[in-house]
Amino acid sequence: MEHTEPHSTEPEMANRQGAAQRPNGAQGKICQFKLVLLGESAVGKSSLVLRFVKGQFHEYQESTIGAAFLTQTVCLDDTTVKFEIWDTAGQERYHSLAPMYYRGAQAAIVVYDITNQDTFGRAKTWVKELQRQASPTIVIALAGNKQDLANKRMVEYEEAQTYAEENGLLFMETSAKTALNVNDIFLAIAKKLPKYDQNQGQSGQGQGRRLAEGDQGAKTPGNCCK
Amino acid sequence: MDEEYDAIVLGTGLKECIISGMLSVSGKKVLHVDRNKYYGGESASICPLEELFTKFGANAPDESYGRGRDWNVDLIPKFLMANGSLVKLLIHTGVTRYLEFKSVEGSYVFKGGKIAKVPVDQKEALASDLMGMFEKRRFRNFLTYVQDFMQDDPKTWKDFDPTTQNMTALYEKFGLDKNTQDFTGHALALYRDDDYLNRPALDTITRIKLYSDSLAKYGKSPYLYPMYGLGELPQGFARLSAIYGGTYMLDKPIDEIVLGEGGRAVGVRSGNEIAKCKQIYCDPTYVPDRVRKKGKVIRCICLLDHPISNTKDALSTQIIIPQKQVGRNSDIYVSLVSHTHQVAAKGWFIGMVSTTVETDNPENEIKPGLDLLGPVRQKFVSVSDYYEPIDDGLQSQIFISQSYDATSHFESTCLDVLDIFKRGTGEEFDFSKIKRDLDLEEQ
Repeated sequence: MEHTEPHSTEPEMANRQGAAQRPNGAQGKICQFKLVLLGESAVGKSSLVLRFVKGQFHEYQESTIGAAFLTQTVCLDDTTVKFEIWDTAGQERYHSLAPMYYRGAQAAIVVYDITNQDTFGRAKTWVKELQRQASPTIVIALAGNKQDLANKRMVEYEEAQTYAEENGLLFMETSAKTALNVNDIFLAIAKKLPKYDQNQGQSGQGQGRRLAEGDQGAKTPGNCCK
Repeated sequence: MDEEYDAIVLGTGLKECIISGMLSVSGKKVLHVDRNKYYGGESASICPLEELFTKFGANAPDESYGRGRDWNVDLIPKFLMANGSLVKLLIHTGVTRYLEFKSVEGSYVFKGGKIAKVPVDQKEALASDLMGMFEKRRFRNFLTYVQDFMQDDPKTWKDFDPTTQNMTALYEKFGLDKNTQDFTGHALALYRDDDYLNRPALDTITRIKLYSDSLAKYGKSPYLYPMYGLGELPQGFARLSAIYGGTYMLDKPIDEIVLGEGGRAVGVRSGNEIAKCKQIYCDPTYVPDRVRKKGKVIRCICLLDHPISNTKDALSTQIIIPQKQVGRNSDIYVSLVSHTHQVAAKGWFIGMVSTTVETDNPENEIKPGLDLLGPVRQKFVSVSDYYEPIDDGLQSQIFISQSYDATSHFESTCLDVLDIFKRGTGEEFDFSKIKRDLDLEEQ
């Protein structure tokens, strides 16, 4: 059965090609993907991540979450998909997102607020930006968030769905508040991503290494960045 | 923009981005502005390749250069010392999570018209063709002394006081000849000139230890280079600042620094908008009347379709040409990075030759470096003034960084940043402020 695992993630690995343990102990493929969030301020990007990663929702979520990125795993048959989720940290506000943000991203969720037509227009701009800046193979999902406020809807479901189909995007309406479709949208992305085993030494990133304190070329468990 | 901030940072070069990150982490409300529409200023990596050609007024590159988007060309060449201050800053701040690195494959020194691998341990010293047999033994003894040396344990100083006796005296103690002194001072301790010989030996010993500790970290050379180019570094620190609440505005021209009582900075003006602040941190280009010229640096970007001869076809390397070898006062640095770092299209290499300008014909000065590169497909030369602030900024509360110097690594960059932070805030940067929040993501 497919399900998301709300367990804690292992400490950041010194080297991307390290092995990770599957929650049930079975030896399967482990794939790690960088996923970026895009969308106007206040459409609920951080709330979607917090719902997905921690199962939490705060009505007055602060505009940044104060973490480099969050990680969460999804299990698909014999594959563990580990998402490294990057939030914009507010850098979208004055159109100051750095190219680094898109770099190596294998998936993106473009979020808009179904009660605000402008945010849907901006979402289309973000999709164009991704097509220009990101890898051509990036998997893009469009999320019409705040579905719990459907009585104030300004963006029709069909309109967004048609747009998504025309542009080859996954599409769901979501609610970080009620958790509607939150796990599902990540799961749908996980299914669509190409799976190659990280233990075979392949990764979608630039094939370099990350640095960690006490790094002597080997992994130093639990000693990273402390 | 019409708000009040603790600090406004102007320019998104590496130094300003590190400072911005440190200020945000320390709880300051920061506005970070750049007049350009891209991050990095002078420390950007230019992408796509067409833009680099345009920048230097050259005709567009032909199709042999591959896809322009595959190129990220640094304007200022530098490497990170694996055990150096920038790596420590990256790890402590967690910015290392946004970056991937590769070890630089080779470290060479120029001697008698050709290049030789820089020997760093006993084994390499004995195999090196830089020295004769007896000199090799003396050099090995010297290396052993440096490796065993501990600053806080005078027993390891062995009847030599490195805090008062100079480096010439230490060389003499081990009987090292001029040639060995030359590559030790320039290729291991990474001095640009020979002033160090007359200063206490402690600094040189510390630098050689940094070199060998860095080498011990990842192997082939003491240097690291980030995937996608050095321009990733300022972006990483900018993200750190943003995560801690920093506000970012690119493509925002700054028309004026607004001064208040006693010439103190109270804000910046862009068009009709004024952002208020208590302090300003910026690079020299934002305050031309508050900096002075200190010298010139020449940098030459060379696009090559082959590796450098006699480096075992290394995909990345550094070659140091010590001043005396070519009758100069300061060293010439040659660096090479390539497609393996995602900074060039497949099959391509980017060589850089740089040095401190000493004559009226700087292009002629870098010739020994260019000669090592072999045939060059395209060459871009820039000669930049090197600026330093005229005062410490305490009166005006405008804290200005120095221009990037000709050194081949980031040690002086970090020293400047830590010094600016201390002047600006009155305290040393407290690394412990970061830990709590970093733990968050590992819950």
